[in-house]
Amino acid sequence: MSLLDAFDPRETGSSTDGILSNRGRFGILALIAALAVLGPVASAVRPFWLYLLIQILVFALLALSLDFVFGYAGLLSFGHAAMFGTGGYAAALLITHVTANALVVLPAAVLTGVVVAAFIGWFSVRARGIYFAMLTLAFAQIFYVIAFADLPSTLLGVETVTGGDNGIVGLATLETFGLLDLSNRMNYYFLTLGLVALSLLAIVRLANSPFGRVLQGVRENEDRMAFIGYDVRRYKVIGFAISGGFAGLAGGLYVPFQSLAQPQLLNWTLSGELVVMLLLGGLGTLWGPMLGAGVVVLLEEQLSGFAAWEVILGSVFVVVVIFAPRGIAGALVSLWEDPEDAIGNVRDALANYREKVMK
Amino acid sequence: MFVEFSSVLRATMLGVQLGMTLALVAAGLTLIFGMLDVINFAHGSLYMMGAYLGVTVSAQFGSFWLALLIAPLAVGVIGAVIEVFGLRALYGRNPLYHILLTFGLAVMIQGLVVEIWGGQSLRIEAPASLAGTVQLGPVEYPVYWLFVLAISTLLIAAVWLMIDRSDLGILMRASAHDTEMVDALGIDVSKVFTGVFVFGAVLAGVAGVLLGASRSVNPGMGFGVIIETFVIVVIGGLGSFKGAVYAALAVGLVTAYGALIAPSVTDIFLFAMMAVVLMIRPNGLFGATEAA
Repeated sequence: MSLLDAFDPRETGSSTDGILSNRGRFGILALIAALAVLGPVASAVRPFWLYLLIQILVFALLALSLDFVFGYAGLLSFGHAAMFGTGGYAAALLITHVTANALVVLPAAVLTGVVVAAFIGWFSVRARGIYFAMLTLAFAQIFYVIAFADLPSTLLGVETVTGGDNGIVGLATLETFGLLDLSNRMNYYFLTLGLVALSLLAIVRLANSPFGRVLQGVRENEDRMAFIGYDVRRYKVIGFAISGGFAGLAGGLYVPFQSLAQPQLLNWTLSGELVVMLLLGGLGTLWGPMLGAGVVVLLEEQLSGFAAWEVILGSVFVVVVIFAPRGIAGALVSLWEDPEDAIGNVRDALANYREKVMK
Repeated sequence: MFVEFSSVLRATMLGVQLGMTLALVAAGLTLIFGMLDVINFAHGSLYMMGAYLGVTVSAQFGSFWLALLIAPLAVGVIGAVIEVFGLRALYGRNPLYHILLTFGLAVMIQGLVVEIWGGQSLRIEAPASLAGTVQLGPVEYPVYWLFVLAISTLLIAAVWLMIDRSDLGILMRASAHDTEMVDALGIDVSKVFTGVFVFGAVLAGVAGVLLGASRSVNPGMGFGVIIETFVIVVIGGLGSFKGAVYAALAVGLVTAYGALIAPSVTDIFLFAMMAVVLMIRPNGLFGATEAA
């Protein structure tokens, strides 16, 4: 298989007809309910855990948005940080200059994500596969440099817009006409959980809709879809824009929570980490990438106390990719289906590895 | 905006020099892609290892020349370990996983570098024989930079001759073109693969030592250079050696001129150039056209 044949998610993507079986839907409902209970419990044990949970939820949403275009439409975006970051910056600018009302800020973040994604997508869908990935990367880096060098302030002739290297700091918390006190972290957690759950629902519906089926068709055989008469490019751009909206929402939730918008949110390392989350979790399963996001955030947070934490984190990626090719989701599914075989599988994997290396 | 002629000339020379050195890194990346179908995210880390090992060797033995010899070879050994114990287990699987593997390795190597050498910026001592500047027409130019230009250009020419003319080069191109057929002819393709990866690693190591004495050596340089090199390789067309060299020159020049006009946004020029090239030629300048 050649990499130039486009990144081919067929092998790894879900092959089932429905995106989620009824059992899967039930599982997700149960998970959301569990998270709703977990929040208060975690907060009671150690308040810091609640902070981690919010962080995980935000990145889970971001991973979900990427899985929608990558897993279902086969578009590997290496620039999803662009939508996340611009969504975040839009939120930060609104909060500093206009209003901190969540009903304004969050929709604006979504809209920014959609617009930026439509712009990047419109240019990028001309290329396919790895070249598409590199175009999205290029556009995202342009946004990064714009924020880093604070280009808007030079153009507008004002002192500062994006705050350059330091970013926009000391943001006020979101408010909702005084209905919900979002400076209370528990409330913020439930707001995030609710929005993530709604987004997941929306994406599952979208993926199962005729529109989602066309995207899947494009992934499987782009030329054939074009012959049938679908405007493939248009579908790709729209799919990309929708995904960008969810990424923007993630940014809009993340920035007020951190009370900071910095250029690092737009940098390619974040896009790269996101791809790692997807592959680590299990591509095209929607729940796998969310799990992957949780694992990566937890690992980074827990390991950062150690001296050589990057070495450990990198090793985890390496070991998972060699020994658990279908990601954590794949490993869990096979464990669920045949727990007794797990030891045998490990032995097989090791033998397989030895054989390949010794070749 | 008025820029003096001599500074334009100087920027041109600097750009060509930077381009040729980046071509060393990009050549390895594009060869590895062309043959192994691997996008090597750890390639910038190999370049960084070259620089850091160069720092250590030159400090230990007080010789830049020894560093230029030993550090790239050591990087080659690291490359061999990565290929044999990492990538080999993944051939035949979705190439996406190579990204995850090499991304993990890049994170790992960055952590290791901070652990061993610390986070501060270091420098390789350029040899005393190459110190000072020479007057080239209106431009005063450091001797060391001329040396870097010369040695990079020589190496690139040598690599080109090897790929284009030698039996080894024919074997490499044949393996890239049709791995199964070469395998069927009784050649151990897996050894060719290891060889190509090690070769690419050594080239990156050389570039690391060369630029380590003129730019600073720091833990961020690996991730910094990989993006520059991706841009080069993509503009040139993935897998094309010729394309990588031309694109490296273009990127070097744009970087040097950009520093003259608007230093803080040079990167925008680079990415815009890549975007424009890809929109006109979706597979890069010299990329395979049949690729979907």
